[in-house]
Amino acid sequence: MRLDIYRFDPESGAPPRMQAYEVQPEAGDKKLLDLLMRLRVQDDSLSFRRSCREGVCGSDAMNINGRNGLACLTALDGLKEPVVLRPLPGFPVIRDLIVDMTQFFAHYHSIRPWLINDEPLPERERLQTPAERERLDGLYECILCACCSAFCPSYWWNPDKFIGPSGLLQAYRFIADSRDTATAERLDFLDDVYRLYRCRTIMNCTEVCPKGLSPSHAIERIRLALLRRSS
Amino acid sequence: MRLFDGQRAWVVQRISALLLLVLAVLALPFASPLDFSAWRAFAGGVLGGPLIALLFGALCAHAWVGLRDIVLDYIQPRGLRLAVLSLIAVVLLGVLVRVLLSLAAAALST
Repeated sequence: MRLDIYRFDPESGAPPRMQAYEVQPEAGDKKLLDLLMRLRVQDDSLSFRRSCREGVCGSDAMNINGRNGLACLTALDGLKEPVVLRPLPGFPVIRDLIVDMTQFFAHYHSIRPWLINDEPLPERERLQTPAERERLDGLYECILCACCSAFCPSYWWNPDKFIGPSGLLQAYRFIADSRDTATAERLDFLDDVYRLYRCRTIMNCTEVCPKGLSPSHAIERIRLALLRRSS
Repeated sequence: MRLFDGQRAWVVQRISALLLLVLAVLALPFASPLDFSAWRAFAGGVLGGPLIALLFGALCAHAWVGLRDIVLDYIQPRGLRLAVLSLIAVVLLGVLVRVLLSLAAAALST
């Protein structure tokens, strides 16, 4: 199988280049990550992140044939050759397929991704009805792989100010949580021309999410929550 | 800039889009008189004048939010951004003032 992989080593001082590789999948190699691991035996200078190898940790997000995805969830069957692998677009490259996620996580932290509840602690856990719990479906599953934010043109243009689809999906996860009492403060924070309203409803995020989530739907729900609050 | 910030701009964009749809796309082709004198009478009328003013008001508001969004996305240097936004604001206000003056003239002549 032929692969064209983006190579960049800042220490060498050389500009980025595409390197062609030829590697044969062996029995049991089902996903792109299997092939990349085999490739690393051939060339141990090739750098990429990976950890859980089953679509839970979100570390092996990359641009695969022009589309962001997780190498561990991308089946080898049906991949067009040569398989072109690039780092997540719009993110600063540290080395080869490894990108700097600092800004991405700074946005994630800015939405205060934890439950805020100043009411006295109950004796046991804070209970939810099944319906209240159901509202978190499609939100809590986000693994912060950044496939969506790195495929969002609005995030490419304003990565320093726009929170991006991933951060906004996480923000709505806490707005929708019946146990959270800081909805008003969360909405105040988001009601900003950059943080939320840079979203042009392009919907690349929903199109590309490897977990099948819909950040654009969550963003729409935040806008509606803001609208309901002001009307 | 709170006047057209965040949610307010988003609401203005949607309401003006609805107005444009109703006024320009649906209503006017059916209601439009054909020749100049009929148009002038319509523009100077009790119904026509406010409708045309509303149409251009919605058009300018919609254009402002849309163009401002494009400028915020693509023009990053602050000075250039301010200059382009000012130019857009002047042109749109100019259009609006010109339309209102024409409507007033049409109303006075009928």
